[in-house]
Amino acid sequence: MRRRGALISRALGIAALAVLAALAAAPLRPAFAAGFSISEQSAKATGMADAVAAQSDDPAVIYYNPGGMAFFDKAAGSVGATYITFTKADFHGANPFPGEGVTATEQKLHAFPPHAYWVQPITPELKLGIGFETPFGLQTRWQNPDSFSGRFLSTLASIKDIDVNPTVAWQVTPEFGIGAGFIARFSEVQLERDVPAVDPFTLTTVNAARIKLKSKYDRGYGFDVGFLNKPTPWFSWGGSYRSKMTVNYTGDAILFPRSSGDPIFDMFLAHALPYNTSIPVKTQIKFPDEALFGVAVKPMPDLTVEVDGNHWGWSTLQNVPITFPGGQLPNSNIVQRWKDSWAVRAGLNWTAAPAWQLRLGYVWDQTPQPEQVVNPLLPDANRNGVTAGIGFRGNPIDLDLGVMYLFFADRTRAKTFADDPQGPFFGTYSTRALLISLTVGFHQ
Amino acid sequence: MYRAKTLVILLALVLLVPVAALAVNTGSADFTNYVSAGDSLTAGFQSASLIDLSQKHSYPSIIDFQATAGAGDFEQPLVSPPGIPGILQLHGLFPTVILPSPGQGSPENLNLPRLYNNLAVPGETVHSMITVSSDVPGTGHPGLHDLILRGFGTQLAEVIGAKPTFVTLWIGNNDALGAATTGNLAILTPLASFQADYTTIVGAIATMTHAKMALANIPNVTSIPFVTTIPPILVDPKTNQPVIFNGGTVPLIGPKGLLGPGDHVLLSAGADLAKGLGIPRPIGTGLPLPASDVLLAADAATIDARVAQFNGVIQATAQQVGAAYVDVNALLKQLASTGIEVGGIPFSASFLTGGVFSYDGVHPTRFGYAFVANAFIDAINAQFGAEIPEGDLSGAIFGTSAGSPEAARGGFDSEDAAAASAAQPLVWTRYLFTAEAMRNLASILAEPQGGRHHRPH
Repeated sequence: MRRRGALISRALGIAALAVLAALAAAPLRPAFAAGFSISEQSAKATGMADAVAAQSDDPAVIYYNPGGMAFFDKAAGSVGATYITFTKADFHGANPFPGEGVTATEQKLHAFPPHAYWVQPITPELKLGIGFETPFGLQTRWQNPDSFSGRFLSTLASIKDIDVNPTVAWQVTPEFGIGAGFIARFSEVQLERDVPAVDPFTLTTVNAARIKLKSKYDRGYGFDVGFLNKPTPWFSWGGSYRSKMTVNYTGDAILFPRSSGDPIFDMFLAHALPYNTSIPVKTQIKFPDEALFGVAVKPMPDLTVEVDGNHWGWSTLQNVPITFPGGQLPNSNIVQRWKDSWAVRAGLNWTAAPAWQLRLGYVWDQTPQPEQVVNPLLPDANRNGVTAGIGFRGNPIDLDLGVMYLFFADRTRAKTFADDPQGPFFGTYSTRALLISLTVGFHQ
Repeated sequence: MYRAKTLVILLALVLLVPVAALAVNTGSADFTNYVSAGDSLTAGFQSASLIDLSQKHSYPSIIDFQATAGAGDFEQPLVSPPGIPGILQLHGLFPTVILPSPGQGSPENLNLPRLYNNLAVPGETVHSMITVSSDVPGTGHPGLHDLILRGFGTQLAEVIGAKPTFVTLWIGNNDALGAATTGNLAILTPLASFQADYTTIVGAIATMTHAKMALANIPNVTSIPFVTTIPPILVDPKTNQPVIFNGGTVPLIGPKGLLGPGDHVLLSAGADLAKGLGIPRPIGTGLPLPASDVLLAADAATIDARVAQFNGVIQATAQQVGAAYVDVNALLKQLASTGIEVGGIPFSASFLTGGVFSYDGVHPTRFGYAFVANAFIDAINAQFGAEIPEGDLSGAIFGTSAGSPEAARGGFDSEDAAAASAAQPLVWTRYLFTAEAMRNLASILAEPQGGRHHRPH
């Protein structure tokens, strides 16, 4: 037994190193705007490719531009959700690892991030509102996780988020409004992957364990501000800014046994690794800030055309530290090195009949992820999206439906970098996504 | 006649199309007749054995496969299992028992009617490459020159005789590392003679074949687990942490007194440590480890300084002849310091668990060789404007290993291990090499000229 100690310590060290690498890398994956943001927080906005920052006819102004809330003269609210699914999420491997001919597919995604808003005018100038939004989120779960060649990087990465966003707006003049909000972000992270080890009896790599990490819903705080100016009935412009936020997560990691295929080595591993034990873990995500700027024109009374640009401060996401305060496993850091990114959006809204609106849109969205860190955890890509929508304006109920189809550019990891945080995992990711938003509105 | 010609041309075109589709862009390099030269590292030696299971995954065979899309006819002097000598196998971890496989393999293609493509001879030095064409009788050496060179000449002569279009050369390891693995600086090759021999080799290949070349440098001795595994201080095997006595660590005893922090205890010292040598009383005998078990810091520095000089010669020669320069030393330094990762799988220079070095602590595993092959390919691509794809590492990571056939493995609580444990009651049995294992290792590491010099390659 006394000799076993050294090996146990060694094996634990190996496992822990691998655990670290996985934990740090795993929290994020491209969702539906570049990075892991979700810009679709209203069905009307989805139909216009989210080019709505210079408009003020949707309670979702609380999310897109709190300055627009200043123009509400009656109470209004809305509630809805966006169904998000992949129509394609494939990976084709390349040499040196995992090799030509290797393919993998993500499990079908069915996500329903919700949204809800209420706007309440207090005086002709002062308006209060509250929003419940899900501006970030993702889930990447690879099929056949036991044999997936990227299983040592990630088999599941999930992040959930809900923002509570109380907002105040002030109509400074009939043409100009400003607004600001406080944001409390509640977020949960979940990561799973296999832990590798070298079997000393075969000198080949085997599965030593599967680690599952799940955080509690932890909080971060921030703010948003915005303005909207409508100098003429046919022209408006506005901008908003949503601050960066940091969420410090606490949770548990559990190591589950995985057969190495070698019963003798499995016995060693059973002694070496703290299987089936909750290990306290901490991590942190620095969410980016976002600046939005939009210009809307009405070339005809029934037609609104808007073009927006937005800038994401994804350079906040340089590292994701994974810390085990109890020291059961060594601390780690997952390098991300993301960069700031841009998106350009254009949308139009045509009031085809007094109660009916038709919408179209287009978005180009730039990935913040450098090639160096493209892997099964976060295979992000530039994307183009086309959208369409329809709205019904009743009294007092409104109904909106928006559809977005996203064409992700094929994302290839094919270069070797001198400072490569997780080593080569070469190949090409091909993704297509479909988003369908449905929102029910109410207005006085 | 005209129709027949047309048909032939058409057929040729049809046949050429798939060939063209498969063709690898090798730039200005030509792999029509690729020849590899060097020592055991080039031969595909693993776990102290030349064995086909490892030879088939030698780095030259990977380079050839990648450069020719598998269409090459790369011949090696294959040896059937259990190899020559019998390959080392791990029989138990507690204590660590590594034994050679019983018996000896035999050549599989000794009668190949042409020279082999892989002409590397285990144990070769820069000097023996140009002077030794067959094994010296009576030295007790298994004799791998005869098996590989088959009496047609020295290794250099055969490289030239093969009329290669491309040559990889990784030679000089034994000129430096032999001194490290024996603690005997007397066998360190002097710089002047290394330079003379090395430039002779490369110059001869360049002028007599006009083949393009890739030249690899020599790793530092402090990069290999044979040197780095056992610390020079007493370690508590229960915790793998240093024993603390009177507020400090307890140094082991070397041939010149207590070992210092930079001194190295060689992997081959396991058996002596198990006898209590090198360990202060009352835990051990208080007797020093023999010189052959120890590489003192000053000696390691001397060898590494010589390695740096050798590498200077190699790099300068590569530049002179326009050869690709493969910095294996940098690769192994990285492995020994930070390790590397491949797809989330960490690899290091650690013995038994690092995944890169085999049971002899010097020669790579299948993964280690595959990684080296890709380093060669990268350097060749850069030098010759080629686009040879790197080899697939998956098989090397997850596939079968030559080192340890399932049947040869001892159990966790096997009788063997229990018996060995009872026979070695001292704490120092972390890496116990049996007498047979040591003899095996010594024999394959011996100089071609004989003597008790341990040669790593």
